[in-house]
Amino acid sequence: MNTYTWPQGARTVVLLTVNFDAETFDLKETAPERMFGRYSYGRYAVRAGFPRLRELLSRHGVPATFFVPGGDARRHPELVRELAADGHEIAARGVDLENFATLGDKESEVLASSRAILGDITGTAPVGFRAPGGELSSRTLGHLAAQGFLYDATFQDADHPYVFSVGGGKQQIVELPSNFALDDAPIYSARHTHARLQTIWRDEIQALHAESVLIPITLNLRGDFGSTRAARIAVLDTLLTEIKQLGDVRFMTCQQLAEHTLSLNLAAQPDPFLAHAETLARTEYRGDLAIKPL
Amino acid sequence: MRQKTTLPEDMRCVVLIGIDFDGPSHEVGRGIAPLGKHSWGNYSARCGVPRHMDMLARHGIKGTFFVPGYDAERHPDTIAQIDQRGFEVAAHGYLHEAWELGLEEEETLLRKTDRILRDVLGKPVLGWRSPSGRKSDRTMAVLKSMGYIYDSSDKDYDRPYRLRFGKGAEDVIVELPNNTYSLDDFPFYKFSHTPPSEVLGQWKAEFDAIYGVDRFFVMSLHPRAGWGSGTPSRTRALSDLITYMKGHDGVQFMEYRAFAQWCQQHRDNLEEVSFA
Repeated sequence: MNTYTWPQGARTVVLLTVNFDAETFDLKETAPERMFGRYSYGRYAVRAGFPRLRELLSRHGVPATFFVPGGDARRHPELVRELAADGHEIAARGVDLENFATLGDKESEVLASSRAILGDITGTAPVGFRAPGGELSSRTLGHLAAQGFLYDATFQDADHPYVFSVGGGKQQIVELPSNFALDDAPIYSARHTHARLQTIWRDEIQALHAESVLIPITLNLRGDFGSTRAARIAVLDTLLTEIKQLGDVRFMTCQQLAEHTLSLNLAAQPDPFLAHAETLARTEYRGDLAIKPL
Repeated sequence: MRQKTTLPEDMRCVVLIGIDFDGPSHEVGRGIAPLGKHSWGNYSARCGVPRHMDMLARHGIKGTFFVPGYDAERHPDTIAQIDQRGFEVAAHGYLHEAWELGLEEEETLLRKTDRILRDVLGKPVLGWRSPSGRKSDRTMAVLKSMGYIYDSSDKDYDRPYRLRFGKGAEDVIVELPNNTYSLDDFPFYKFSHTPPSEVLGQWKAEFDAIYGVDRFFVMSLHPRAGWGSGTPSRTRALSDLITYMKGHDGVQFMEYRAFAQWCQQHRDNLEEVSFA
């Protein structure tokens, strides 16, 4: 089996990924006529957050991958085109932030529709996907491969990209795993300070770089748990400067890294559901393990 | 309150590093497919366990891996490797049952996991840590009947003790109590989003206090991604903690089973508490 190697000259690769989740997120909670007040954090994403993040990325000269829900892309096609024109990658994220774990027969249709919406706007069909809420079903990877997607970026279970064998071994899909600690949403939604996120990310990034493993960063655009408020952009500014100083770091889009991964001819990992299918079929659903303060 | 167990002077402080394997069993047992954001458990066998073994080997110290039976079925090579590299493998539920079990079901699962681990290892398993810390007044009798010599699930004491669970002369098991509130990675990384450098500070402070008083330091760690310590930053925090502890006189890093055997051989040093 071939081992993972980074592109020539790179000690590690940084993936800057952005979950575009704007009004689609609020529309899961409320009706269109009530998208004001507490349900306007998504509008912040496109009015205030977007230009600020775009400027930061352009100032640092680094590419990012934006996972854009179809609904948000329809509402803001000009923003999607601006990103593409800046050299950022546009990737799929469902249409209305559907939960893919429970979509059932509609899954394939939603995926195809999200792909078509983005393709119509940018002129190029997206090749990547990240499941809304991180939830996918036993069939999602198969649908992705069948529809011509190159990669998924939803799993959180490896230090390097890898390849899944799906569709009974006939197809492959690249997995670009992300990292829970390098996602702004869990930290900011728990109301932690910007300084705390900065410390966590500094600790995490230094250690990932030291071990030459993937540095996958997940940003959100929203005004509540996203990274686009002025003070949070300042944190990102500092972190990006520090990352560049680590040495031999390559910023890539997800598509670039997925193509590099395929070129390595890695042994494919088995379908991640099959080994558990039988047990899951007879196991009661208990929900995610959570701890709450007393 | 004076705690009655006493360690001899030459055992200045005992450190037990316990690593709960917690692979996909954690999600599968709750009816959740280990896909997408629920895939953290796959990281254990793929990255976290090898990284932890390498780190412990660099320090030349022992540790114990508590493994759910379901994960051992899916990763027998990793479990065999843990044993071959000189680390202890102990039991940790079947599907990481973090809910109340009936007595009969509990016994069935304890025996099932024991059989799985023994088959992989070709040797007896000597200890157990409850997944999520649930156990009953009957659990210890089942462990004992399988030849287990210790449990590490209770939270009721700072020192090891002899837990009497019945009236018979042999109805005693060594209890190695743990602290999953602050000597565990899960609360900090899942719940409070504490930076690894700050977690290191917290654990050093715990060690300082324990070194001066109870001299018995028991850690509960997880090699999975997400809220575990398998990733580079967190394994580094753990490694830095070990370096810090090694800088103190008379610190003994032991496997749980070796320390439990010591406790069996030095019963006069241990307080006995009866729940019979």
